[in-house]
Amino acid sequence: MHAGGQVAAVNGSRSAAPVALEIRDIRKSYGAHEVLKGISLTAHEHDVVAILGSSGSGKSTFLRCINLLEMPNGGEVRVKGELIRMTMRRGEPVPADMKQVDRIRAKLAMVFQQFNLWQHMTVLENVTAAQIHVLGRPKAEAAAKGEAMLAKVGVADKRSHYPGQLSGGQQQRVAIARALAMDPEVMLFDEPTSALDPELVNEVLKVMRDLAAEGRTMLVVTHEMGFAREAANRLMFFHKGLVEEEGAPREVMANPKSERFRQFLSGSLK
Amino acid sequence: MQNLIDYFPLLMQGLKITLLLAVSTVAVGLVLGLALAMAKMSRHGWLSRPAFAVTNFLRGIPEFLVLLVIYYGGSQVLNDVLGISVDVSPFLAGLVALSLVFGSYASETFRGAFQSVPKGQVEAGRAYGFTAWQCFRLIQLPQIWKVAIPGLGNLWQGTVKDTALVSVIGLDDLMRKSNQAAQSTREPFNFYLFAALIFLAITLVSMVILARLEKRASRGVRRS
Repeated sequence: MHAGGQVAAVNGSRSAAPVALEIRDIRKSYGAHEVLKGISLTAHEHDVVAILGSSGSGKSTFLRCINLLEMPNGGEVRVKGELIRMTMRRGEPVPADMKQVDRIRAKLAMVFQQFNLWQHMTVLENVTAAQIHVLGRPKAEAAAKGEAMLAKVGVADKRSHYPGQLSGGQQQRVAIARALAMDPEVMLFDEPTSALDPELVNEVLKVMRDLAAEGRTMLVVTHEMGFAREAANRLMFFHKGLVEEEGAPREVMANPKSERFRQFLSGSLK
Repeated sequence: MQNLIDYFPLLMQGLKITLLLAVSTVAVGLVLGLALAMAKMSRHGWLSRPAFAVTNFLRGIPEFLVLLVIYYGGSQVLNDVLGISVDVSPFLAGLVALSLVFGSYASETFRGAFQSVPKGQVEAGRAYGFTAWQCFRLIQLPQIWKVAIPGLGNLWQGTVKDTALVSVIGLDDLMRKSNQAAQSTREPFNFYLFAALIFLAITLVSMVILARLEKRASRGVRRS
């Protein structure tokens, strides 16, 4: 059913595609504990990068360092070639220009494990708020875009509901629509199915597979091996704050070079 | 009964002042309470520590004492410092004193309410490019009311009743007018009972309005 050929075609053109996101040597420590020990990643347009790793490997922290929800202690992030400028204050790196950060964050739409929809807004308001207040789109245009994205993820009939009235799977699809409505350069998914009941995982994965197939640039921290193998064109396996294994998903999953990744795979394929 | 009818217009003038003071107190007190709550939640110790100290102090002494300090103490300080004779009006002194007390209590109510908004929602705001101010205004502020309104409602009821204290320093409120009427007619029971019923009516009407506000503020909350 799933259009594997389409993914392959998109993947084939990837090296020629412009660079969407370039991350160099990201480091992050909490006190003496070093969570990220220098991680780099170059994502071209249409890349779908699956980031795997056991808990505590730093994969979520890495994702949150990209849009500066966590402040990295070192490293560089470039979005479409634009470097997020950092400066030092009291020995800690902080953004040099918060306006630049807000502008770039709007291009890096994030989907959270706990959805984090705004509870006091209706579904439609959730998908229009950032368009109106961050991108400055007129309300009517934002509403039209929001409606279209809700339809795309299959929850258009819920536009007047509040998030609390929806199932987890519906909430996460609304969250994906909220991200899509921003016309993001890169979408960041932070374990998007980990908080869902097992029977609701597939409705969210299906939406994500469709996005991958249409050529969205995505970074996906996930435990879903099937998604990593079939929808991603690149896989990164994190271990103790470093990239332990990296490559084309099918290849590295079939022939893992590192012992850690081998153990991880055998554990999760039980 | 005839006395009550004769004094009715005077009592209504008093009621007007009482309501005006109560509503002004809440308006000023809400802004003050919100500001104090934000100061308390600040990462900066130089902001949060004084805010805690001031509100703990104000909550720890009788409201009547705060009123006297501001009315009599305020005049004295203004005279000593500015070297001019200034009379603080009872209304202004009452407003300042009651707002300070209201703001101190409200700051705790607001602080609790802010902490009830899940951090992830603010994080989502930041991740989508909202500034810290936009997160406050568009995400946090609209969601604090459903938690804060019951507590603020209690404070409002207290404030309405505390306005009676201000009659002692000469504010022509409902309490003082009732007092005057009671003394000149020698019917204290009738007039005090009447004043009591008016206060009761205000609080009953407030309860209805507050219940509506609370329902409105709770929209989007799953009913279980």
